[in-house]
Amino acid sequence: MTWLFPLYLLGGAAILGPILMHLRRRPPQNRVEFSSLMFLEAQTPMPVSRRRVEDWLLLLLRCLALLLLDLMFARPLWRAQSEAAVVPNKATILLLDRSASMQRGDLWKQAIAAAMQHLDQSAMTDRIAVATFDRELEWLWSFDQDKVSASTRGAVLKPKLRELKPGWAATHLGQALVQAGNELAIASGLNAWTKKVVLISDFQEGASLEALRGMIWPESMAVQVVRLETPTADNFTLSLAAKVDEEQTRGLLQNERGASFHRVRVSNSRDSQASDFQLAWESGSKASTPGYVPPGASRVLSVTGTAGTLRLSGDAWDFDNRLYIAPVQPKVVKIVFIGDEKTRDEAASPLYYLSRALQPSSTLRPELTVVSATAEQWPVDAEWVFISGSRPSAALEKSLRAWMERGGFVVSVISDGTSAQDLEALTGLSASAWKLGPSVSSDSMEDYRMLADVQTAHPLLRTFDDERMRDFTKLRFWKHRPLALAKDASSMEVLARFDQGDPAILAGKVGKGRVILLTSGWHPADSQLALSTKFVPLLFGWFGAAGLEQKSSTSLTVGDVIHAESATSLMTPEGQTLRLKPGGTIRAELPGIYSVGKDRLIAVNVAAEEGRIAPMDLAKLRELGVPVGEGEPQGKPSARVEDKQRLAITEQEARQRAWLWLLGALLVILAWETWLAGRIRPSQPQPTFSAT
Amino acid sequence: MSPTLDLQALARIRSLEWRAKSIMEGLWRGLHRSPYHGFSVEFSEYRSYVQGDDPRYIDWKVLARSDRTFIKKFEDETNLRCQLVVDHSRSMGFGSGPMTKADYAATLAATMALFFMQQGDAVGVTTFGQTLQDHIPARNRPGHLRRLMLELEKPAPTGGTSLDLSVQQLADLLRKRGLICLISDLLAPVEMLERQLALLGAMGHDLVLFHVMDRAEIDFRFDKAAHFRDVETGTERFIDPASAREVYLNRLNGHRDQIRRACERQGIDYRWTPTDMPMEQVLFDFLSNRIRPKGGPARR
Repeated sequence: MTWLFPLYLLGGAAILGPILMHLRRRPPQNRVEFSSLMFLEAQTPMPVSRRRVEDWLLLLLRCLALLLLDLMFARPLWRAQSEAAVVPNKATILLLDRSASMQRGDLWKQAIAAAMQHLDQSAMTDRIAVATFDRELEWLWSFDQDKVSASTRGAVLKPKLRELKPGWAATHLGQALVQAGNELAIASGLNAWTKKVVLISDFQEGASLEALRGMIWPESMAVQVVRLETPTADNFTLSLAAKVDEEQTRGLLQNERGASFHRVRVSNSRDSQASDFQLAWESGSKASTPGYVPPGASRVLSVTGTAGTLRLSGDAWDFDNRLYIAPVQPKVVKIVFIGDEKTRDEAASPLYYLSRALQPSSTLRPELTVVSATAEQWPVDAEWVFISGSRPSAALEKSLRAWMERGGFVVSVISDGTSAQDLEALTGLSASAWKLGPSVSSDSMEDYRMLADVQTAHPLLRTFDDERMRDFTKLRFWKHRPLALAKDASSMEVLARFDQGDPAILAGKVGKGRVILLTSGWHPADSQLALSTKFVPLLFGWFGAAGLEQKSSTSLTVGDVIHAESATSLMTPEGQTLRLKPGGTIRAELPGIYSVGKDRLIAVNVAAEEGRIAPMDLAKLRELGVPVGEGEPQGKPSARVEDKQRLAITEQEARQRAWLWLLGALLVILAWETWLAGRIRPSQPQPTFSAT
Repeated sequence: MSPTLDLQALARIRSLEWRAKSIMEGLWRGLHRSPYHGFSVEFSEYRSYVQGDDPRYIDWKVLARSDRTFIKKFEDETNLRCQLVVDHSRSMGFGSGPMTKADYAATLAATMALFFMQQGDAVGVTTFGQTLQDHIPARNRPGHLRRLMLELEKPAPTGGTSLDLSVQQLADLLRKRGLICLISDLLAPVEMLERQLALLGAMGHDLVLFHVMDRAEIDFRFDKAAHFRDVETGTERFIDPASAREVYLNRLNGHRDQIRRACERQGIDYRWTPTDMPMEQVLFDFLSNRIRPKGGPARR
């Protein structure tokens, strides 16, 4: 026999009440008038308590009634052997959060202690798998391993757990739960087992739960939460803010001395007590910048400086207080102009304008080399070739053609001396396809051609896709070579025409490379192109289309993959140099600045979301269908099983209803007691006297 | 003999005179049935002698004259003076039955007054408590009985019992010899009582003492402890009847014995009268005793 609420049995002590009451006797309060006291002697009133219990039967009945009431509240039941013996085996996955936020205080120690406790409390017959998670889930101990060597589970896992350190990556809690759920679902031989995921985490607000949206969590799979807490939630988060439109801030981003403005966002945690912070560069003697952000808000600041590590101070937790900013590294583009070097400073020559248009930008640093048309050698590592006003030698032409086949880009101006054969040699399109007319030049400045039918959707002219850039009316052409293409010349396409219909800009593919033909030059003798506002965007648009611009994303977060591209070595922020295959990748495990190859720097930062350390409401998990045990205290892993057993006992008790019998007996006893007490009391009524 | 009315019915009769008459009715019936028929203090007649009659009462003169035996009875009782002395102290107000001791004493006195007046005797009533309260001298005239009844009907006994003072005063008032019927609960020291009674006896009075007690006083059957309050003095004592009963009864019986012995010594007729005793019985016993051999001053 057992009890549903055994604590009520303590109420049995209440029988002391009637026993004491029966031992107690009230001194008589009544008065009797009597004729004379001459035969009576005074007596002392008797003591309040007496040794001898009176009315034994009444006392017995009263005690019995109290005991029955007590037993009724304790709800007795008889447990069947079969029901008591069945305790299902448990399959548990321990998920240990090792994201960057776990670096706070002693959270990691708490996490390891909780994990150890669960390991200690698990039986040998249970199945346990252990994994850590941040952006990725990493198995420390799988069900298969546990199946084979459950006896050595503790001996193997505990040293592993002690060696573990929290990482720097973001918390993808949803992803980890999905993977754990899948593992529990597909693990072999666990069909009839009680399945449970134990989540040991700080449950910060910034944890990502997105992955859970696509999953229906199985009802039979319980999730037990072990929430780790720190005493304070004061935390600022430092992150890079998105750059404002480049056109508007181009002037702002760089000043005369080359220092840049960086837009950084400082966020304050929701439950934070602090609101003042200091920002300073770690290297350098610049004074720190004070700032203020109220709790739960964020603020974008412009910070002056070249690059390096920006350090924030003023909060309790340091793990997200550094922002690594890689220096601006424009890509060097080697450009070759085939012509005469001497004309570089002649105001009428195309080179004069080209050399001045190719100024370094934040993403590109053009290096212009002039190669004589008669030269036989030219720098083969060049990435772009301009030809205007001169005719390359045959050897150079051949070399150029071969270079283009491999992926080179050539811009050539069809001038007076250009023949169809030259174009055939350059483009590979037969000379018959080209119908070149003599140059058409205007007699006066008033007679000019304008551009029309500009294919702004074409990648090479994408720069002008914006409506504000499409105005070509001020761009005038005085001289051009009329040109017509044969109908079958489909490899060349016309990107822009003059207003009378002659092609102005043509482009075509040559092997992996591309050739762009201009029927009019950019120098003032031919047109206003070099002097117009369209020239520089046109050139840089071409470079961009050719993929020569530096990729803007030089800031990654921990856990992102770094592409080595052509580099073969990579230096981590710790100073460790890793050898890589060209085109290989590596996962950034630490925040800091990585050096890829010789001149490429990549900043890797802690994810901004990781800084949102306010505790997450577990109702969010429930909304996503995850049955989280609310407020389960740390160190009670078997509470759910106990709940199940309790439920089974409750149901059994409800079936047996022993308390009803007790209630019946209680009523009988009470009736008996009432009758007996009523009988005893008026048995010897005090005589009443009249004294008139 | 059996009483005509029980005490409860008697107590319901408000008028003391009617109550006395009811008792008298029963008493007459009892007397007619009894072997002592016709022997009262004043009754006088002749009847034929029957076997068993006392030969002393045969009128020898009539026998000599007519040769028939007649019994001669008390034809001469003209000078009897009966003074009924009734205790009106506060303790007489106690009673556990239908009648208190005071009621009982008043009824008894009224009945006796009625009886004696019907005999043609002079009857007076004296009430006393701490001191002598009222005194009506013994007379036999029309309206006197009514006066006696009014005196006896007076309610509210007051004060304690002090026979000492009362008897002395009474002795001063009663110059002529006669019958004195003292009706009291005698809750006073015995020594003093004996002295006073001896004084009355010495004055030539014929004394009858009715010792009235309530059944609760006689048996002391209380079951619960309580604070007992003396109605005369007002003092209170905590008494557990279970333990005090034995001592009480011993002392009460001792007190009663002392009184009885004192009465015997002084030649006083002592009548033990619990209030639950039928009044006809009391009177019958009293009257019977008075015609027993001793005789009294009234007998001829």
